[in-house]
Amino acid sequence: MEHTQPKQSPLQWVKQSWKTQPLFSTAVALLVMVVLQTLALGFSYANFGEWFAAWGKNWINILRNNAGVGIIALGMTFVIISGGIDLAVGSTMVGIGAVIMVLIDGNANGLLTRIGITGAPAFLIAIAAGILVGVLLGEASGALIAHSGLPPFIATLGMMKIARSVTQQFMQGVQPAVPKDFLGIANTRIGGEIVLPILYWLLLAGVLYVVSKHTAFGRQVFAVGSSERTSKLSGVNVKKIKRRVYVLMGGLVAVASVIQIARIGSMDYANAGSGYEMDAIAAVIIGGTSMSGGRGSVLGTVLGMLILAVMNNLLNLIGVPPFLREAFKGVIVVAAVLLQKKDSAN
Amino acid sequence: MQLTMQGICKAFGANVVLRTVDFHLEGGEICALLGENGAGKSTLMNILGGVLLPDAGTIALDGVEKVFHDPTQSLSAGIAFIHQELNLINDLPIYENMFIGRELKKPGGFLDHAEMIRRTRDVFDRMGLSIDPRAMVRDLDASYKQIVEISRALLMNASLIIMDEPTTSLTDPEIQRVFAMLRTLKAQGVGIVFISHKLREVMEICDRYTVLRDGVMVAEGRVAEITVSGLARHMVGHEVKSDTMGHNGTRGEERLRVTDLTREPFYRHVNLTAYAGEVLGITGLLGDGRSELMSTVFGAEGDYTGEICVGGKPVRMKSTGQAVALGIGYVPRNRKENGIVKDMSILENGSIVTWPRLVRRGLIDRRMQTAEFDRQKRALSIKLERINDLITSLSGGNQQKVVLAKWLSAGPKVLVLDNPTQGVDVGAKEEIYDIIRKLADEDVAVIVLSSEAQEIIRVCDRALVMYHGAVCDEVSGERMTEHEMMRLATGG
Repeated sequence: MEHTQPKQSPLQWVKQSWKTQPLFSTAVALLVMVVLQTLALGFSYANFGEWFAAWGKNWINILRNNAGVGIIALGMTFVIISGGIDLAVGSTMVGIGAVIMVLIDGNANGLLTRIGITGAPAFLIAIAAGILVGVLLGEASGALIAHSGLPPFIATLGMMKIARSVTQQFMQGVQPAVPKDFLGIANTRIGGEIVLPILYWLLLAGVLYVVSKHTAFGRQVFAVGSSERTSKLSGVNVKKIKRRVYVLMGGLVAVASVIQIARIGSMDYANAGSGYEMDAIAAVIIGGTSMSGGRGSVLGTVLGMLILAVMNNLLNLIGVPPFLREAFKGVIVVAAVLLQKKDSAN
Repeated sequence: MQLTMQGICKAFGANVVLRTVDFHLEGGEICALLGENGAGKSTLMNILGGVLLPDAGTIALDGVEKVFHDPTQSLSAGIAFIHQELNLINDLPIYENMFIGRELKKPGGFLDHAEMIRRTRDVFDRMGLSIDPRAMVRDLDASYKQIVEISRALLMNASLIIMDEPTTSLTDPEIQRVFAMLRTLKAQGVGIVFISHKLREVMEICDRYTVLRDGVMVAEGRVAEITVSGLARHMVGHEVKSDTMGHNGTRGEERLRVTDLTREPFYRHVNLTAYAGEVLGITGLLGDGRSELMSTVFGAEGDYTGEICVGGKPVRMKSTGQAVALGIGYVPRNRKENGIVKDMSILENGSIVTWPRLVRRGLIDRRMQTAEFDRQKRALSIKLERINDLITSLSGGNQQKVVLAKWLSAGPKVLVLDNPTQGVDVGAKEEIYDIIRKLADEDVAVIVLSSEAQEIIRVCDRALVMYHGAVCDEVSGERMTEHEMMRLATGG
């Protein structure tokens, strides 16, 4: 093969990468955002150290505030690559949250407190139960989609309505107290900063990156999303893969739920998590994952989430009113998909 | 209309696809455009159809030079391109399909259904066809869909029609129906470019031929003055064999036995046995149920009655994974939908079956995966640049070999191949036949499904002929002739 690389000017390199590397344009977009955001943050500090501290704090804030949705977006990546969609994540997060809240309830008549289980053992039970509920809810959606052939949009729309409504009904007038120690799960300071949620997010992103690239399950998710028929005729258990994708999603929603509760010490069953599904989907799409399945990446989703987060921060810094910020989100999602469409047409 | 294309050159980057090709066509003439995959046929026709611009060369219609920048320009010049994948909307009636994008409207913007129906009927009348313009396209068989597409071209006053492999998905009677229409068109002075791999059809329907090989026109002439093997020789550049390769296999142990297998409405009471070291053919016309039969055996359909025995043990086939575990491999028909994962690399397509077996400590072992694929690549002589390129970057024949590779790495005891040389050029076809025979020599029980009698005769030791979902007879040796199999397949 005669593939000697001719010497390229940097401009050619950029052009080439723009065309051939699917994530290149995403990374460039993020870079532009970060530069603008840095400019918006300003340089009116006494010295570089002070500026850097402010810059870093701002970043930690951005990342921490988006860790929950970021984790949900990781799962959404798998769902969308498999050819599905999950609209229920915001609602199931609340449902799972309710289970966790009831179990960690520090009040004297709390479910576990009553039988003398408090502190770490209660937390462990609560988190395990939360993950179990997440997995079961995912299994329910997944089974509906895989076995009764219901379109994922419909199945998870149903789940979305059911989960929040049932949670609100059951939690009427119940006000569990979140023990102070539980907050440590998210708020324990490391080096003086609250970075645990960020670490959970990055850890999960790393693990799921490997899962998506190097495990049989991960590759089968791509195969099923790209060609269900070929996958089936290659001995892949398509139904099992579809179910597992929603199960994984459910588990990750549970993690996000734990972080949410630990961060703010309460959960608003009516409003918490609403819109998370769309934010997660937006991050996945901006990250270059194809809505029709088969193509995409975990790394792209992380970049997509960062773009959304940095943009929000930037708009905040330059004083765009909160109501208008959503519009920018809309613009960027549409622009990202338009860009990708042009890329694939070339 | 008279078409003259002269000195057409086209390159994609460093890849030269056409080198000063000439092509001409008279009105009222059917000209076959032949060549293996990658010979440049599609590129040449895409230039004529306005999809691509040539790097050099001219196109002239009736002596007037034309440049087509896009398909609409070539269409308005009277050139219609009918692609292999038909461009019809199943959920609309015929007449709406005929006028799609150019609907006739009454004042006020409402559709003029009556006029559209009338004009559609006019075209059908001109062709001597009795089709109701109001029928839904969904309810038409493949040949009538083809005919509707051709009629649409006529409605747009096409005087030159390019047909890209129009008969691939048609049964013999359907092919005859389309051919009848082509003859009518010819009589009315329409020029037709007929792209096909099926040389017998070319002999039957075409007046002239042009053969491309590696972007160069290597032969042209009158069909009446050449034979099938002559055409094949021009296409591949050397002699093509047509004698039988089989009959030397020694029958080993029983690998698969099917007893009284029934799945309505596809097939019923089917019995068959496949032995190690033997190539068993199953043939018949389209709709005979053989594909459904073998996909059941492979576990892709659960609802059957009857018994399937693998290696002497009765099993209830519930999933494809189960079939794989039992040592059955399955190369399906329609490679594009069933055989390849289009978004994945050559390497991944070539190992999808064995992913679970390549897992070490939870992860797919990339070294083992690559080593195994390299082994198959050499054994099957798959031509590729980089194993991480997309599968779709390969030619049809090489894609099919990658599909074979994924099964061969699984080491199947029984391998079913449905229409294994579909969309594969003559040279690669021979290679695939060699592979099939070699598998039988290596003691695999091979089952080949094909509607091409030539193919069955070439590779199989014996063959079952199916007709309307039932096995009507078994042929082997002297009785395995094209004539006999056709007689049985048509219910004779």
